[in-house]
Amino acid sequence: MKPADPDAARLLRWYPRGWRERYGEEFLAMVEDSLDGRRPGWRLRLSVARAGLRERGHRARLAGQRAALPVLRALTWRRWTFFLAGSVVINLPYEFKASSGAAQRWQAAAAMGAFAAVAALGGAAVLTGAILALPAFGRFLRAGGWPRIRRRVAWAAGATTAAGSGMAALVLIAGSRTYDQLRGSWVFFLGGFAAGLVLAVAFRLWASAVKATATHLDLPLRVRVGEMVLGVVITTAVFVMLACYLILSSAIYSSVPLLLLGVAGLAVQSAAAPGKIRQAVRRGRRRPRSAPGRGG
Amino acid sequence: MASRRQANGLRRENDPPLLILISLAEGPKHGHALAKDIEGFAGVTLGPGALYGAITRLEERGLIEPLGSDDRRRPYQITSAGSAALAGALADLRRVTSVGLARLRIGGSLA
Repeated sequence: MKPADPDAARLLRWYPRGWRERYGEEFLAMVEDSLDGRRPGWRLRLSVARAGLRERGHRARLAGQRAALPVLRALTWRRWTFFLAGSVVINLPYEFKASSGAAQRWQAAAAMGAFAAVAALGGAAVLTGAILALPAFGRFLRAGGWPRIRRRVAWAAGATTAAGSGMAALVLIAGSRTYDQLRGSWVFFLGGFAAGLVLAVAFRLWASAVKATATHLDLPLRVRVGEMVLGVVITTAVFVMLACYLILSSAIYSSVPLLLLGVAGLAVQSAAAPGKIRQAVRRGRRRPRSAPGRGG
Repeated sequence: MASRRQANGLRRENDPPLLILISLAEGPKHGHALAKDIEGFAGVTLGPGALYGAITRLEERGLIEPLGSDDRRRPYQITSAGSAALAGALADLRRVTSVGLARLRIGGSLA
């Protein structure tokens, strides 16, 4: 085998090591064939440098995606509902403080009560779903399934810990300051935003972990349908919580558009829920295996 | 249709991946032979960087595969997935071309 021309071989430096090991020799053979004994010109050097850097970028993106895949997935546009849920929950200490001074106290109190009730309902649905799937989950674990979901669960637990710490800090700050102090605090605002983001990611990661687990579970038909219906209940609960939050905010800021938006949200969710549940039942019966995760 | 083209990485008629698949549809070729063939039938000169960038992506997607070789020049052949992707991309191109020609009202004489 003829050794590579050192002048041409220097072109390879633009490429990442893995690529050089796989394609380097044949790439150099092609460069030498196309040069036919001439030295590489500036145009060739430039095009190879550009291609090499692009390859480095491609590999770096792939590596980054592999390393932070769950987080990146959690932030894609389809997951915006989780961001909304995170933002709503994280803003509660602030809004709670503000609601005591709201012009429409009864409205704020009702929205807050409804929010808490729906949150409790959503939580109960999550618990029920988990309990229903417990026997199948046990079988999955006994069959050595834990390594398949370990990474996702670890990511979700990490994000939850981070979000929980952030929320606890915000609640402490909110408790020791007045509404006006909180309103003017950029640190509180940015902290709330960051914690909301992390909480949104945590929600999404748990949903993703549950979904991944559910695909491995062998659920009986009734449980499968039940899980699908609970999934609709949880998603609807998130939207209803958002609507309640808008109504709460409308009471605090005396905003008619926010009130209309919140009421419209409630109406849309109420009207759409029966159809979604019917669809979930149909999908649950159709799917040969497990349900696709609650809240996912 | 758009998603299939994106998944295969074949979008335009002068896309290096598409030209490589067309060239390999004739039979296995190594890098320099591919570049020469493409220049011959499409009039497009692909430098080593562009050619091997496309070869890398096509191999990642399983549309082409390398053949064993004792030489530094490693030949590639199209896979069955590559043939299917190429057929789909060419059908899309033919559809677009026929619409374009029909709209120019020269479809009858050129198509």
